[in-house]
Amino acid sequence: MTPLLLMLLAQAAPPPAPVAGFLNQNCIGCHGGPAAPMGLDFTTLEFQFSNQEALSRWVRIHDAVRSGSMPPGAAKTLNREEFLAAVAAPITAFEKTRAANLGRSVLRRLNRYEYENTVRDLLGAPWLQLRDGLPEDGIAHRFNKSGEALDISHVQMARYLDTAEQALRDVLAAQAARPKVNRYYARDQRRMLNRMRYSPFNNHPERAMIPILGFEAQPDVLRETVPLTVGAAKPEVRELEAFATPAGTFNGNDYSWDQFTAKAAGRYRLRFNAYSLWIHSLWEPLNNKNRPPYWRPNRDKTERGRTLEPLSIYALRPGGEKRYLATMDLVAEPKVHEVEVYLLKGDSISPDAARLFRSRPGFLGSPHASQEGMPGVAYRWMEVDGPIASPPAQLIPASVEQVPKYVKDFLARALRRPHSEAEFQSAMKIVNARLAKDPTQLAEAMIDGYTAILCSPAFLYLEESPGALSGPALAARLSYFLWNTAPDEELRRLAGDGSLKNAAVLRAQTERLLSSSRSQQFLNAFLDYWLDLRKVNENTPDQILYPEYYLDDLLTESAEMQTRLFFAHLVEKNLPVASLAQSSFTFLNSHLAQHYGLPAVEGSAMRKVVLPAGSARGGLLTHASILKLTANGTTTSPVLRGAWVMERILGMPPPPPPPGVGAVEPDTRGATTIREQLDKHRANPACAACHRKIDPPGFALESFDVFGGARSHYRSTEEGPAVSGLGKNGHVFTFRTGKPVDASGDFFGKPFRGIEEFQSILAKDERQLARNLASQWIVYATGAPVSFSNRPQLEAILDKAQRDRYGLRTLIHEIVQSEYFTRK
Amino acid sequence: MRLTRRSLLRASGVALGLPLLDAMRPAFAAEPTAPRRMLAICNNLGLLSPGFFPKTAGRDYELSPYLEQLKPYRDDFTVFSGVSHPDVDGSHNSEVCFLTAAPHPSNGGFRNTISLDQFLAEHIGVQTRFSSLTLGVNVSKSQRSLSWTGSGVMIPCEDSAASIYKRLFIQGSAEEIERQIERLRLGQSIMDSVANEAKSLGRDLGGPDRERLDQYMTGVRELERRLVLAQAWERKPKPQTQAKAPIDPSEPRAYMAKVRLMYDIARLAFETDSTRLITLFLDSVNSPAIDVEGIAITDGYHNLSHHGRNESKLKQLEAIDLWHMRHLAELLGKLKGANEPSGNLLDRTMVLYGSNFGDANKHTTNDMPVIFAGGGFKHGQHLAFPGDKNYPLPNLFTSMIERMGVDAKRFASSTGLFRGLELKS
Repeated sequence: MTPLLLMLLAQAAPPPAPVAGFLNQNCIGCHGGPAAPMGLDFTTLEFQFSNQEALSRWVRIHDAVRSGSMPPGAAKTLNREEFLAAVAAPITAFEKTRAANLGRSVLRRLNRYEYENTVRDLLGAPWLQLRDGLPEDGIAHRFNKSGEALDISHVQMARYLDTAEQALRDVLAAQAARPKVNRYYARDQRRMLNRMRYSPFNNHPERAMIPILGFEAQPDVLRETVPLTVGAAKPEVRELEAFATPAGTFNGNDYSWDQFTAKAAGRYRLRFNAYSLWIHSLWEPLNNKNRPPYWRPNRDKTERGRTLEPLSIYALRPGGEKRYLATMDLVAEPKVHEVEVYLLKGDSISPDAARLFRSRPGFLGSPHASQEGMPGVAYRWMEVDGPIASPPAQLIPASVEQVPKYVKDFLARALRRPHSEAEFQSAMKIVNARLAKDPTQLAEAMIDGYTAILCSPAFLYLEESPGALSGPALAARLSYFLWNTAPDEELRRLAGDGSLKNAAVLRAQTERLLSSSRSQQFLNAFLDYWLDLRKVNENTPDQILYPEYYLDDLLTESAEMQTRLFFAHLVEKNLPVASLAQSSFTFLNSHLAQHYGLPAVEGSAMRKVVLPAGSARGGLLTHASILKLTANGTTTSPVLRGAWVMERILGMPPPPPPPGVGAVEPDTRGATTIREQLDKHRANPACAACHRKIDPPGFALESFDVFGGARSHYRSTEEGPAVSGLGKNGHVFTFRTGKPVDASGDFFGKPFRGIEEFQSILAKDERQLARNLASQWIVYATGAPVSFSNRPQLEAILDKAQRDRYGLRTLIHEIVQSEYFTRK
Repeated sequence: MRLTRRSLLRASGVALGLPLLDAMRPAFAAEPTAPRRMLAICNNLGLLSPGFFPKTAGRDYELSPYLEQLKPYRDDFTVFSGVSHPDVDGSHNSEVCFLTAAPHPSNGGFRNTISLDQFLAEHIGVQTRFSSLTLGVNVSKSQRSLSWTGSGVMIPCEDSAASIYKRLFIQGSAEEIERQIERLRLGQSIMDSVANEAKSLGRDLGGPDRERLDQYMTGVRELERRLVLAQAWERKPKPQTQAKAPIDPSEPRAYMAKVRLMYDIARLAFETDSTRLITLFLDSVNSPAIDVEGIAITDGYHNLSHHGRNESKLKQLEAIDLWHMRHLAELLGKLKGANEPSGNLLDRTMVLYGSNFGDANKHTTNDMPVIFAGGGFKHGQHLAFPGDKNYPLPNLFTSMIERMGVDAKRFASSTGLFRGLELKS
């Protein structure tokens, strides 16, 4: 390619002489023409920045030359500094002008997390479930916080209209509900009773209910030669009546407290009288001749429980949807367990003995069963107390005269800045339209008006003007950053009198918001996107290769909680950023401790645990949640996991794979390992250039399977010694122990033998870890990424946070104090 | 009581006379092109695989015993094998995902997502009096449905053909109409009011900020327009039909008769352009021992499905399955026989028939049996996807969405358009 041609094609925006000269001399040989590597063709790339794509290309070019990775070989010293300056200066100038005129970020609406939190606060109804009722939000720079991706359509508007009206009606209905205490005996639950009686679909003792009194089975009740219950006449005996079962609740074996449905939404106290039980066994074939004999529950013989059984409670909706509510530990001693939960109107309660097996058609039996018997759980009753009265939002005035006051009050709380007279009048117009026709429809008219406010641009959009943010805009930015909801009274007051702009006040408020339990809304939403934690449930462990994980909801729920608690703890205690890579503690319950092969802890409650010296389970990377969501349920890929670590943890995203190159897919047959396949791939220098950087973190994580269990060997379907057993679904499985895992690698010239050494290497790179986390937070807080010209500002933030080794809380404070945050 | 074929015809009523199509078609909202429609049917106990799946693939595939029943329409449908919804795993709960493809319906914390028909209804629903119809046979009361709104609300199935007939053709009271119009008008004035606020808010905005607010404004004005159109539908008299009101069999045993009634009412709704989107959920799981011509059924439908290779049960299931195919053939025939100005109704109507279960005996959700007919596609083929990994069925939904003229590159877990499915030239 000749220099002449370059000048001709780029003439719409010719690069300045030092740039053109450098490119012609060093780059155009490879990067000239349609087949240029990485699709980077200098004969067509314009030297202009109003197009975001072109701008980021030039930034990448600048960075590649500065780091010395381009141009390759001896040419790298030629006019390098001059070139860098000539690229940097116009980009900086362009970005500065744009930021001054328009601001860094773009006007945006609330995302659906923020919408839900904001409406809950506004209506005083923390139980509202609105998020999933709105279309999924667009993503830019990895988060749902940027105007350019938060679109609106007539579909979105129609949903806002319906969602707002429904929320208002639900809240008013809940306010009208009277609290009650009701007890529901297990014996009275239709679906539990159906599980005691056999039917064509339930003739297996493994799935059945066993009537018991205390710890003793009641064969007479089972055979119904005596009444099902002694009833109200003998309360002290009735109190001891229960239904026991050796199986968890799952489709096909789903029973619930079906005689209860929540009449209104709200906060409820649920009390369960339940305990663990031991059920004797019989070696016998079942009435179905296709089944081999196995240890089956003996419904005539039970005794005091021998195990601790976690019981998870879900809210069950018509249609089969389940919402996780809580987990409690059942022990042998009958005990009342109380939980406080939010229920929606129509919810029923579904219990699941989470550790016990989930029978699927074709099962052989419970994997917990033996000659000794098998564990089970017993339910006596559930008591429902609620809805518990809470200070209701005042929404409906007593008389028409008070309407303007109520509308003004609602507007004042709904908008994040003082409302205009026009905004007040247009809400009044909607209210009055109905009142004019029928003055008795006061409540309906108020719902109309409030719905209109909740659909208005001033409610849905976060208004910011170029330059330093106004008090209200700053308050909104701060609370949508650290609480993911609208500012509270105190913030509004400080916004109103302008004192929030004072650095010390801003710092104090940041501290206050972070210390509040509401900051969980921030951390959870942040983790949902930064690490994709919201997708932890999206793949299923293979039922043949990973039968121990298949259908184990408790493990998934615990794993997700671990990551949330761990990260929240780092922020709460302002721990060094290196803790993301390596820490001496983590959060566990008994299920996770067992999964990780760590010393036992008792019970399903999560708690902070100090790890044995040298354990790799500190930091984030070895969390079951992370290792699950970076795998696909069947196999793990060092390429995908490696790219994930580079991108999310180190902030050094690898370039996308070149088009037309197929992915290297792990093979479960066991003849070859992914490591061997990749070695072949990397023998090609063109592939090696990138994979040398991408794969190593993934190699270190090869010591962990698709759910983060430690492994020394792969599992395979065809080669290696067979391992057989019964899965959680009661089915026989056979997988094979495949080839050994090699978790060694070389990370930018630093060799490691396995995960522990890799964690140490990563932990030493604390400034890069901090740079990445701060960059992610800046996008989350402001909607705009760290741009080329803003890099020095980011370094200044890091300099200030260096003294306490980039403590997470310090990083947040320094971001809030910076111009990233205080200017649009 | 066993129903004879004659009583079955009497019960269906609507099936007897071919309605006068052109006279009934509403002239309202005249459109340049004829409408496109969709009927999606799920039988939650599926079909026995050996009888259903053809042994050979491609355009010259050999019809399986079941598909022999559809032989006259061989060129009007495509049969698939090796397709399923990714990560919609095994259990009865997968039925609510048949049209949503939401993953893991049995897991704790499961939330369903928008179904294909409701997704389309949000776009084209306003073009007809009813944005969609959600029908069912023997559906356990308001517990299950194929249709789920974007707000996560299950739309309960309507399982009385008589009351659907009433909704389609019998005028509501003036008061009912007024109440509905009132509601729509309120939405309209709210949209008008917020649009005015956006106008004043946008005054000082520059560049990209202004574009964002313009997008809001467009969304608001578009919704307003739709709410106005919906009011016009309320005011417009309902179409006339010569078809008699159907009489619902009261017994769940009359499952097959009910299926046939629903097919007829669906066709009638399309013919009168009352809606363009219909889902039909055949809740076989909730059905007792059903009446089937030519064989005595000894067990409940669900119980039969767990046949455990019992020969008598397999034989009964096969008889049921064959009737399913015959009724489907009858539906396709009637759609094909109904003419619109632009061609026959089948060419303008996509009919999806399938099941959430590949094998109801084992509760497996891979290798779902699926027939896709009509809609102006180049049919007459068996699209087979052999191998361990199933091809994603949501890709068919994406193709259907595109066929409906709605712009969407993906739906649920789809990866693109359905491979090998082409439009008629």
